[in-house]
Amino acid sequence: MDPDDVDEHDTPAEVDAAFRTLRRVAITHFLLFLAVVTGVPALSLTLGWWSDARIEGGLSPGFAMAAFGLYAFFLVVGLAAATLSNAVESRMLGGDHPGADGADRHEDQQ
Amino acid sequence: MRAGSGVLAGALVATWALVYLVTQVIVSPPLAVGTTVVAGTVVSVLLVVGYPSALRGPRAATGLRRGARESARAEAGHGGTRSGRAGAGLPVRRSMPLRSGLTADAARRTAELLLPLLGGDAVAITDRETVLAFVGAGDDHHRAGATVASTLAGRVIAKGRTVVGGTPRALACADPGCRLRSAVVVPLTVGTRVVGTVGVFRAGTGPVPRDQVEDMAAILSLHVELAELDRERKLAADARLDALRAQINPHFLFNVLNTIASKSRTDPDEARQLLLRLSDFFRYAVRQEGQVAEFAQEYFFVRTYLSLEQARFGDRLRVRYDIDPQVLTAHVPVLMIQPLVENAVKHGLADKVEGGTVTLRARVDPLTRTTSIRVTDDGVGIPADVLERLTNGSPAAGEPGDDWPSGDGGPGRSGRSGVGLRNISLRLATLFGERFALDIQSSPGGGTVVDIRMPLR
Repeated sequence: MDPDDVDEHDTPAEVDAAFRTLRRVAITHFLLFLAVVTGVPALSLTLGWWSDARIEGGLSPGFAMAAFGLYAFFLVVGLAAATLSNAVESRMLGGDHPGADGADRHEDQQ
Repeated sequence: MRAGSGVLAGALVATWALVYLVTQVIVSPPLAVGTTVVAGTVVSVLLVVGYPSALRGPRAATGLRRGARESARAEAGHGGTRSGRAGAGLPVRRSMPLRSGLTADAARRTAELLLPLLGGDAVAITDRETVLAFVGAGDDHHRAGATVASTLAGRVIAKGRTVVGGTPRALACADPGCRLRSAVVVPLTVGTRVVGTVGVFRAGTGPVPRDQVEDMAAILSLHVELAELDRERKLAADARLDALRAQINPHFLFNVLNTIASKSRTDPDEARQLLLRLSDFFRYAVRQEGQVAEFAQEYFFVRTYLSLEQARFGDRLRVRYDIDPQVLTAHVPVLMIQPLVENAVKHGLADKVEGGTVTLRARVDPLTRTTSIRVTDDGVGIPADVLERLTNGSPAAGEPGDDWPSGDGGPGRSGRSGVGLRNISLRLATLFGERFALDIQSSPGGGTVVDIRMPLR
């Protein structure tokens, strides 16, 4: 049997560790998301400058944030969470894998 | 400043510039100064805390490539060159060229530095066999690479003391058109051993002051000696790593092979898995180059080891990993965590009938830029006298290493089966100097906690 045909599996402890680490990533990014989303109305209530000041085009900072900034933030936080989660999963599960494709499984005789 | 800190500093400057732009420049009226400072501070704290995730985490591919490049550099260092980095964590000072060793390039740059300082017309630096550099008048026929045997430098090496040549004949130059008339040649020494010479030549009347050249030679000798010490320190670090590799216990291999043999009848799939894991384990141990590796690689090595031990111990060995996502891309000393885990299994849990749990906890503190690794077991613990010996770093008489005996506190049934805490401590000291902490807490029957804190890399 070709050794490459063997499906690798991770131990329960390894999967559990990856799950808990990914959960930490998700919770952290959710808290960041929540803080920013709730921060916009909070600033409107507490900081007059947020609604009264004007930037180019006559928009207030609060309006610009709600119209453009929040969507940019959603994109950034989503990409960050996805990228970090992928990085965590690839590092915490599976093999070290110079030989993941099987190429290195057959150790060279040097 | 390390590359990671440089990026963070740059990001902080950019953040403050952005805060200033948004609150003071493009908006009317500008935000009050106090509120702006508060906003900038909040954003900065978020950036510092999130930096290891946001900037280090996603760089999976580049991180691995950089690791490979560092390995390649370290490998090149093994080839005998004394220039460049003397292994990861052992930087060679470049301010004084000879600080990186007595090489042709360092000698040439040193001679160029010395020529205007010593008031001569030419400066030559040699090792014991060849002229490494000749700079100044007469360099058209006094060439680097020539042998020193028949020259003034050859006499200095033979005698081991300064020689002053006051006449062209004393210089033993074969070129009749040579303008050089006098020279002071001083030996470069490491301890009592002459490793080369430095010579200052003059075309005019009288040699340069002898004391001046001897003082400079003493400084150069010190730099060469420090370079040799660096090289020996690197060799010692490599030797410690090799010692750890060599300490993979043959009993471990026998036990795993026996486990695989028994599983090959009852559970062939698991037996194949174990064989693959055993292959991964030895591949990592043998092939890992350099002094540091990404934590994720060390983590892979640890879980490979523990999965093999779990196959042997069954339900008696339970494992818990508690890994911070930010620590996965941090760089830690190679083969540092697995020996700690092996000690926890072998000395903490193996002798406990009901077994126990080994916990590996890894954290990054972004504010203090510290990596923290803790290996905990709830095994039999370490007897007080052994713990005292371990924490004081003084192996018992007749015990060449630093391993603690088997968990029953007896004379060590497992002998030297453990792997060296002292070895790890010495390697940490080599890499980080005083900027690390290795703490051991244990009580008989209460388990053991080994905690390592080191700078985030």
